[in-house]
Amino acid sequence: MNILTVTSQTWIITLVGYFVVFLVLVTLIFTFGWLMPLILNKMKNKPKKRNIETTTGKETKSTPRDRDIRAGESAAIAMALHLFLNSQHDEESNVITIKNIKRRYSPWNSKIHSMNNTLDRR
Amino acid sequence: MKKLLTLIGAVALILTVQLCFGADGSALQGTTSGALEGLKTFYNFTGFANFDPLNLVMIIVGLFFLFLGIKYDFEPLLLVPIGTGIIIGNIPFHPGNSIGIYEDGSVLSYLYFGVKKGIYPPLIFLGIGAMTDFSSLISNPKLMLLGAAAQIGVFGTFLGAAALGFTPQESGAIAIIGGADGPTAIFLSAMLAPHMMGAIAIAAYSYMALVPVIQPPIMRLLIPKEERTIKMKPPRAISKTEKILFPIIGLIFTTFIAPSAIPLLGMLFFGNLLKESGVTERLADTARNSLINIITILLGVTVGASTQAQYFLTTNSLKIFVLGAVSFVIATAGGLLFARLMNLFLKDDNKINPLIGAAGVSAVPDSARVVQNEGLKTDPNNHLLMHAMAPNVAGVIGSAVAAGILLAFLK
Repeated sequence: MNILTVTSQTWIITLVGYFVVFLVLVTLIFTFGWLMPLILNKMKNKPKKRNIETTTGKETKSTPRDRDIRAGESAAIAMALHLFLNSQHDEESNVITIKNIKRRYSPWNSKIHSMNNTLDRR
Repeated sequence: MKKLLTLIGAVALILTVQLCFGADGSALQGTTSGALEGLKTFYNFTGFANFDPLNLVMIIVGLFFLFLGIKYDFEPLLLVPIGTGIIIGNIPFHPGNSIGIYEDGSVLSYLYFGVKKGIYPPLIFLGIGAMTDFSSLISNPKLMLLGAAAQIGVFGTFLGAAALGFTPQESGAIAIIGGADGPTAIFLSAMLAPHMMGAIAIAAYSYMALVPVIQPPIMRLLIPKEERTIKMKPPRAISKTEKILFPIIGLIFTTFIAPSAIPLLGMLFFGNLLKESGVTERLADTARNSLINIITILLGVTVGASTQAQYFLTTNSLKIFVLGAVSFVIATAGGLLFARLMNLFLKDDNKINPLIGAAGVSAVPDSARVVQNEGLKTDPNNHLLMHAMAPNVAGVIGSAVAAGILLAFLK
């Protein structure tokens, strides 16, 4: 085997091909690593409908203070996260395909088929 | 019941006598009896008369596949149908009776049509898409690079095969073994080098089954022990919107760049959309269970049966097996080394365990499982399975893209 005997066309296919594989996956990395979080964050931070004070008819903007999470809620979330992260991978079987073993039905030696229900002639 | 059986037996006996000796018994009077002629004809149609020692070799290979699948649980869903197919395809028979897979009008040739025309692989991809969870990939997209890096096995083998004197089309078909993806290998070889498809498919599936044997020594050789103990941050939770958007965006972007991969990638992402949309559960269920099972049976048996000794046992097949092994090793090494390279540019708390690079060679989910086991051997508390699934599914996308590129260049 002499790699130098390979034609230039083969080299081009190799290099361009490998580059394109990278290009495709880098495009996906860019999309899901940068573009997608940006769009999703924009969607999340979109200002909600402004509150309307019914009594006075005045419109009030929601302040950052309104969006604050109370300490109790933060503590609950933190505790839930803590429990979740610590409970991860406690009992891993390493088996990621569920093997369902069932006993196949086979009537070949079934008792019911070998029984003689003879008529009782009394 | 007994009477009926006796009657049928008597009729069968009379018919046999008539067949052997002629309806009027005239054959009995001839010098050469009809019975002997009949027996001779019957013998000529048996496997013993058409026996070729090469068939026996292939039958032993088929039995070995069955042994590996049943005894050692190596990819039994593939090796058992393929092993049985090899036996079916190598039972000697009298040619010209529409029996063999390569004979026009035979039942096997009709079943083989799906392989020959590349129909089965996209349907398998549909099922794979409906089974695969891309969450780990979406949560850490940079791991996709490992799936791309491992494709060096494909392109390295392409060069190697060309240097060995294969035509560009044949080289492309052989190279895809490095993608470690059976359906992709069958798809591409059916398109580029149909005469080599049996050997390529068998090589691809054999090496996929042998992932737990091939990969660990390379992993231990290329990754130092302290790097094998790196613990990665748990993947972040993925929203439903992201899961739905992934197959749609993935489909559009990847197929725009490599349109030749549409049959594979289109079906892969379609299957995943069926799963993630949450509104087509019945379709997703069919795709990941009944459909993929049916196609796996048909694909396995017919690919196995296509390995008739007269077509399969050639020096080219031997070269394909050697190149396949080399490409698998290069692909694994490529993924592992690229992971080490990535670590040079990552901050301490963001470093990746280089072992997961080995999962970049498609072979879902076996290579991810091998990574997990190797990780546990170094540190019993280091679970890498979910992290390894990211390069693993990226490898599926990467190998399908590579197949599309080779197809675009060489068809």
